[in-house]
Amino acid sequence: MPQDMPPVGGYAQVQYKRNIPTRGFKPWVYMAGMHMIMAWGTYKYMQGTREQRELAREKMWARMYLTPLLQAEEDRDQVRRHFANQAREVELLGSEQKIYNADRYVLIHLVYID
Amino acid sequence: MAAREPRFNQEVLVDTTPMPDHIPKVQELGATSAPLFSAAYFIGERCKAYNDDFMKCKDEGNGRGELDCLKEGRKVTRCAASVIKDINTHCLSQFKAHWECLENNNHYLFECRRPEMDLNKCVFDKLGLKKEIPGSPEGQVPVHLRPKQKYAIYPGPQY
Repeated sequence: MPQDMPPVGGYAQVQYKRNIPTRGFKPWVYMAGMHMIMAWGTYKYMQGTREQRELAREKMWARMYLTPLLQAEEDRDQVRRHFANQAREVELLGSEQKIYNADRYVLIHLVYID
Repeated sequence: MAAREPRFNQEVLVDTTPMPDHIPKVQELGATSAPLFSAAYFIGERCKAYNDDFMKCKDEGNGRGELDCLKEGRKVTRCAASVIKDINTHCLSQFKAHWECLENNNHYLFECRRPEMDLNKCVFDKLGLKKEIPGSPEGQVPVHLRPKQKYAIYPGPQY
């Protein structure tokens, strides 16, 4: 039996390449567009962050200007209660009692009244 | 019938004993948060020396600042009260507009730039106190002078 041989004139070409029309832009255009959108968003984000920082600074300084005032009021109240406490102690116990072995002023966190 | 007066804890928890007489009296400010916040920069501008003095005294008080710095504290309160009093005499309507705006807008300063501009202008003209934010970057419009506020509900120009 004779061996199979290629047909006369060779085989036909095998279709292996894509044969679809390319559509849309070139890939680098999409890449560049994405980067531009990202850059715009980052720019807006940074502007917003800067504005937030300035707003925070404004609020912080307003509070810092008010702090001594509020602290002074609170301190006066504490001192008033401290003296009231001392007077009450003398009245009830006859003398002032030291509860801490130190001269440091200790804030009164609890006021007992009865 | 009970011979004893009923006593409720809620009534006696607050110690109402007045301050002893050897300490000079001072009228407390009595302003709520919104007017204080609105006037904070003017208080800071006029009372900077007293405020710094008081805070320094407290810092150096070594734990006894509450008792030792009463004098400085009274100065701070009197100075702040004088600012509030002056604003109330000269710029009451603008002041009221601004702090009511703050109260209605969650204390956001950036929602109330228009009343703030009016208030700042009036206070600068009448009292000579100017709002300046320390440490804001050079070469930029300070945030309280920008007409557009990015984070306001209406982000366009407010005035």
